[in-house]
Amino acid sequence: MENQTKILIIDDEEVVLDSCTQILKGSGHLIVTAADGTKGLLLLQEFHPDLVFVDLKMPGISGFEVLEKIHELDSTIVTVVITGFATVSSAVDAMKKGAYDFLPKPFTPDEFRLITRRSLERRRLVLEAISLRREKELLREQFASIVSHELKAPLGAVQQNLFALEFELLNVLNESQKEKVARLKTRIDEMLKMINSWLRVISVDINKLKESFTQIDITLPIRNALESNGQLATRKGITVETEFIPELPKVNGDALSLTEVFVNIIGNAIKYSPNRSNIHVKTERQADKILVSVKDNGVGISQQDLPHIFEGFYRGQSGISEAGHGIGLAVSRQIVDAHDGSITVNSEQGKGTTFVIILPVANMLMAN
Amino acid sequence: MTKKLLMIDDDPDFVEGIRSILTSADFEVDVAYNPKDGLHALQTKPYDLLLLDIMMGRGAEGIMIARKLRKDVKLRELPVLIITGMREQIAFLFPGEPVHPRFVEIDELVEKPVEPKLLLEKVNGLIQAAEAKKAGK
Repeated sequence: MENQTKILIIDDEEVVLDSCTQILKGSGHLIVTAADGTKGLLLLQEFHPDLVFVDLKMPGISGFEVLEKIHELDSTIVTVVITGFATVSSAVDAMKKGAYDFLPKPFTPDEFRLITRRSLERRRLVLEAISLRREKELLREQFASIVSHELKAPLGAVQQNLFALEFELLNVLNESQKEKVARLKTRIDEMLKMINSWLRVISVDINKLKESFTQIDITLPIRNALESNGQLATRKGITVETEFIPELPKVNGDALSLTEVFVNIIGNAIKYSPNRSNIHVKTERQADKILVSVKDNGVGISQQDLPHIFEGFYRGQSGISEAGHGIGLAVSRQIVDAHDGSITVNSEQGKGTTFVIILPVANMLMAN
Repeated sequence: MTKKLLMIDDDPDFVEGIRSILTSADFEVDVAYNPKDGLHALQTKPYDLLLLDIMMGRGAEGIMIARKLRKDVKLRELPVLIITGMREQIAFLFPGEPVHPRFVEIDELVEKPVEPKLLLEKVNGLIQAAEAKKAGK
């Protein structure tokens, strides 16, 4: 009987144990009782209950201690405290420690049945939430692999053949034909970059990012991002000026995901800037923080759009249609957050936009 | 003398896009569409360079080939150009190692798709490095 719900009751009063068992008799639950905390905790390991009733006042280890041990062992187990003297404060303390509810003595069979039903419902919901989370995680991983194989691989093969075609026809194509090939290449390249960015979003678990942190020089991901956006900048005749202060202290971080942040921010700056304009990328140090700013002289962001730009799939109401996928900034913010940093934006429509990314200096972080 | 290359990749369309660039540049290219045929070719014919895909079949089967190469006294010297769909996957497969893992003594890594200029640069560079190494011995 794997699906039978299991209830453990820990109380030093035999009469309570007996009556509780009696009340729930015939309800289909498996009930086990223990006369003190030590025995109760011992039972817990082999019985794996769904619900535990714990008396707060018992000889030996206290009900509070039992509660703590239960939650340490398995935080999905629902606990209800039985309080001899219905002191609200001890019940509140117990609930602060994670108890789901409390049952003041003396109680009627109906009260006991009701609290049992509610608690078991709670347990069901807790377990359901966990399995849904797992399912979501699985779906995310599967989606990542589908995107990777079903979209990226074919597109990569198309692009590779286009490269080959252009290479072989180098001396055959006329100017207008070359332009067409260039357009094909550019659009496919943009599509591949977009898929890559989606893939990173889906496959990088931002919560787990911290596990791969190392001490890095922040100019490294910036330089990578500049290189990655180089083609786009050249095409629009945009000059990217850099001003990196030498011997900047390192930051604790993940170079790959930080590169993604700068690819997004610098890419946006280029995208939303007029041809032949300038973009300024600068690093600064302020006490225990490192500031990276990316300033453009582009179209700017309207006051109305500004509060929403870090939300996913938001592309602005400004009516400017430019290639974008609406998740870049949302992901960038999540990545920067995971680095204990912040990202802010200042913008004036028609004048330009400045993004500032602030990250804590590594050794300062470790001292904490 | 014409240099002989072996390409191991399970996507025939992608393979053609690489092969035609290399043959236009006067390389001779053999292709194996799965790791098994690839290993067989490596063991039976001499090659100047291996072009290796990582994600094949049910996963990172290219890694299996790289491991076998590393153990083989003779094949260890063969320069390898790793051509992979996603650089991050490499980092993921070798947690804690830098993005470019040294599979064998002489190798380089490029991402799919590969621009012809870059492809030829890497292929020539690797072959030269392997020859220089041999001459130095």
